[in-house]
Amino acid sequence: MEFEPVIGIEIHVEFKTKSKMFSSAPVTFGASPNSETVPFDLAMPGCMPVVNKEAVVYGIRVCEAMHMKIARTLYFDRKNYFYPDLPKGFQITQQFDPIGRDGYIEIQIDHKPVRIRVNNAHLEEDTAKQIHLADISLLNFNRAGTPLIEIVSEPDMHSGEEAMKYVEAIREIVTYLGVSDGKMENGSLRCDINVSLREKGSTKLGTKTECKNLNTIQNIRAAVDYEVKRQSEILLSGGKVEQETRRYDEAEKKTVLMRKKTNAIDYKYFREPNIVPIDLDEGFIYDAIHSMNKLPNAYREDLTKLGLDDYEIEELLKDRDFVTYYEDCITLGVKNPTTLWNFLMVDILGYLNKNSLSLKDLKFTKENLASLVNLLSDGKINSKQAKEVLSVMLEKGSDPLSVVKEKGMEQISDTGAIETLVEGVLADNAPTIADWQRGKDHALGYLVGQVMKRSKGKANPSLAKELILKKIGPCGAKKGQ
Amino acid sequence: MTKWMTKDILSIHKALVEKEVTPSELVEECIERIGKDQCNSFEATRFDEARKEAKKITEIGEDEVLKGIPYLAKDNYSTKGTETSASSKILTGYVPTFDATVVKKLKRAGMIQVAHTTMDELAMGGTGTTGRKGDTTNPYDKERIVGGSSCGSAAALAQGIAPMALGSDTGDSVRKPASLAGLVGYKATWGRISRFGLFPFAPSLDAVGFFTRDVLSAAYVLTALSGHDKNDMSSSYRKKEKYEKYVLEGKRLKRVGYFKAVMDSIKDPIIKDAYSKLLEELRKKGYEVLPYDYPIELLDALYPTYMIISCAEAGSNDANLDGVRFGPAATNNPKTYKEYMIDCRSKGFSDLIKRRFVIGSFSLLAENQPEMFNRAQKARRLIVDAMNRFFDSFDYLIVPSAYSIPKKIKDLSTAWSTHPDYLDNILTLGNFGGYPSVTVPLTFDQGMPIGVNVTGRIFEDGYVLSMGKEIEDITGLKNLVAGKENK
Amino acid sequence: MIKVTKDVINQCAENLLFELAPGQADLIYEEFNTVLAQIDFLKGIEGVDEAEPMTFPYKEHQKLLREDIPSKPLSAEEELSNSNTRLGNQIKLPKVVGNKNDEMDD
Repeated sequence: MEFEPVIGIEIHVEFKTKSKMFSSAPVTFGASPNSETVPFDLAMPGCMPVVNKEAVVYGIRVCEAMHMKIARTLYFDRKNYFYPDLPKGFQITQQFDPIGRDGYIEIQIDHKPVRIRVNNAHLEEDTAKQIHLADISLLNFNRAGTPLIEIVSEPDMHSGEEAMKYVEAIREIVTYLGVSDGKMENGSLRCDINVSLREKGSTKLGTKTECKNLNTIQNIRAAVDYEVKRQSEILLSGGKVEQETRRYDEAEKKTVLMRKKTNAIDYKYFREPNIVPIDLDEGFIYDAIHSMNKLPNAYREDLTKLGLDDYEIEELLKDRDFVTYYEDCITLGVKNPTTLWNFLMVDILGYLNKNSLSLKDLKFTKENLASLVNLLSDGKINSKQAKEVLSVMLEKGSDPLSVVKEKGMEQISDTGAIETLVEGVLADNAPTIADWQRGKDHALGYLVGQVMKRSKGKANPSLAKELILKKIGPCGAKKGQ
Repeated sequence: MTKWMTKDILSIHKALVEKEVTPSELVEECIERIGKDQCNSFEATRFDEARKEAKKITEIGEDEVLKGIPYLAKDNYSTKGTETSASSKILTGYVPTFDATVVKKLKRAGMIQVAHTTMDELAMGGTGTTGRKGDTTNPYDKERIVGGSSCGSAAALAQGIAPMALGSDTGDSVRKPASLAGLVGYKATWGRISRFGLFPFAPSLDAVGFFTRDVLSAAYVLTALSGHDKNDMSSSYRKKEKYEKYVLEGKRLKRVGYFKAVMDSIKDPIIKDAYSKLLEELRKKGYEVLPYDYPIELLDALYPTYMIISCAEAGSNDANLDGVRFGPAATNNPKTYKEYMIDCRSKGFSDLIKRRFVIGSFSLLAENQPEMFNRAQKARRLIVDAMNRFFDSFDYLIVPSAYSIPKKIKDLSTAWSTHPDYLDNILTLGNFGGYPSVTVPLTFDQGMPIGVNVTGRIFEDGYVLSMGKEIEDITGLKNLVAGKENK
Repeated sequence: MIKVTKDVINQCAENLLFELAPGQADLIYEEFNTVLAQIDFLKGIEGVDEAEPMTFPYKEHQKLLREDIPSKPLSAEEELSNSNTRLGNQIKLPKVVGNKNDEMDD
């Protein structure tokens, strides 16, 4: 019997707005406990929720990025349950009318695009933080009320790889939009993964398990793969998969049982009566969408057109700062995108890493970098010189043109001048020319080197090479003679 | 003792402007009268703060009508520095760190809050007998109820302790006790006054309300309290108005309706007679007064619809009362958070509140919701649609606010009413549709006051108050104080 | 509809985190007879099934939202001043075993 895994994922993303979802308390990380709250966050009697505009803007952008239908009227609902980290005794969420519905995102599997449908995305609020000590728990309400968006996929994924790439794609979207840190390790992006198996060809869904506690993108693949293996072993041995919640144990590299799902809690959902319906007018939605950051897939498309390969593109996309920097330089008129990539992702990145700096610490402007790239592309300087100029730029923030001038680096690209030099070198190096003609190809490099030496490094090496070849003919022309 | 506290706001204001009396003297009189309360009207007091606030007021302008005048607040208005418990044991000792918006606005207008008044526990009740301090009684007959849930505010005003008291109105919690205590009781349009800082009972029905002893005073208070509040999303952006102008200039609409079914089912002859006479007087004054056939089955639906919606919402609103962040701590040496909360909530809520929460909670369960909570919400829609149709042809609905004199405390039952009489629930119409609604005194029956109620279209608060004034002029009943010769 | 029994009533109370005093479950059980009869009455009202459930008293939508500008928070001292179960600047409860995910679905 062959099984097909069916996977659906719920993702909670914390927004990095300045204030909370329903209260004006600041959103902070790592502040001293309970120092960043207003009475609403502790559910003091009589406090009322007031919806944060920026959180709605962020919500609209996330929905747009996932090609969703965006609600024209916002409603909120109460999800009622008791827990120490839930001060009101209910969470305000969007159970019945989510801000976004029926979208999809595209991931790449074996270089082919695969669409994963997204059922809905809804706005809600985070809970307080608990710290568990030996026999007591402590409550810190600084986090209570931080805006969240929950993104619910359709059960469209069928492998650990797809699940991993789906989460990665959403992580990219929210970080590129600038709405969240998207850090799984500190909980600003959290996912619950539902896995079930069904017989291949069947449309009937099997019993699913829910997997939590996934702290890294890699763990998602590992957890799903483990769960698929575990469930198929059960089914193959004639057993039944139990409906349960499991947790991924990173050390053991397996999922372990947390609890069986027996009678689920009834959350007694009903419309939040303190938030009257909010009309999102077209202008508001338009502005939210049209001020959105460019998304990773759009970059992929554009960078491919520039001629970068997949590796180069993915390296750039790892950090939005780099890809925007790169694109800005391109916009300034860089003639060779690959040369720019090399400077940025090898030399500059290396320098920044070595000195624990970031892009904004660079002393030179994007215009400077663009002109350096073009000096090289135009053959005004050679690549060795370019690196030398770049290191001056990195240290001093100088304009490459002035560095080139100061160091007297400008290449001689005047054919007549180089030809004179070439003639001189050839006249003095007859044995080397003979080697070349016998097929010793390293001879050419030597001859070019001699021209460069006589020009004190200023000759355009490719021009010199071209002129030499014209005179000495192809390599090995007199082989065997 | 001076007698300023038994007067209306404008009279006191004029005396203040003319320096016949000072805010400090008014506060002292109010405090002295609080000390002589006969009806169990008070929870916390804030005498020292009130004295300080009074002392700070030196000049009172002619347009500062509320400045320097004492008032009382129902115990569910968050007041910074003053214990606010909604008369529930579960909030014993809770001292808010912030002022409700209405408290803030009154402070800004220069009114001086002197004390908090008793109420039915968490505003869930209509008898004034379920608060942690026991029964609040009617100043006109201390064996009888004054009604609730804003019982202390009504009892205090009827005793002449202050000229204004805040109440809150979810079903009729201001307008019913106003009726039973011979007062003006006003409930504003839902959204006209911010509810921020008012402890919620059922937010989709809750409205800020208040008691005064004449209609013009109520209009001044509404002018001070109305307007959008950034802390309450349900508060309206509609323009604020000078509501006293409607009253002073006699700005009124013409078409008065009454429900035929209501008229036909009034049993008390004195009330029926007074009500009929009032309608006749209005006719004489040129109003079109006509009967209306509001569907009887929708009148019968008022009680269950109200009870189910309000109990369901209440159970959720009061889920924050767990003894963790405020309120008395658990004393059962709890081993788990659940044991902790169960101890606090078991001891903190009365039996009645728990019964209501259980029924409300049951009606919200996923499996029951379509049959119970949603059905009540649907019935509400029909009730309000029918009411809006009424308002297509009429500007005002006028009904008695009570249909008999108040019950004796010993005859009360807190059970879910098996055969509710729609007359007892008629004022919930105002909450279902969010309409502005005012109760003013109508008559006396066996020495007990009985009120009449005017309800109008949403945001026509000014017209409603002005009609209240018209009735006040017809009956001549204003500035009533128990024990005083009122007629 | 879930059939009302005393067990169901007690379960509701348990979920609301309070205990019922002796005799109260019986009283609620009796009250439910009334409640359910009244629900049946509502069911019989013409047009009730087709009506749209009403939460807000009238249709008036909000357009303005809160600007994302943080306000000055209260100090922990002030914010926790009403808690009777404190440890320093945090609130203290008996150890919450495991985590929420043991009991809750998100």
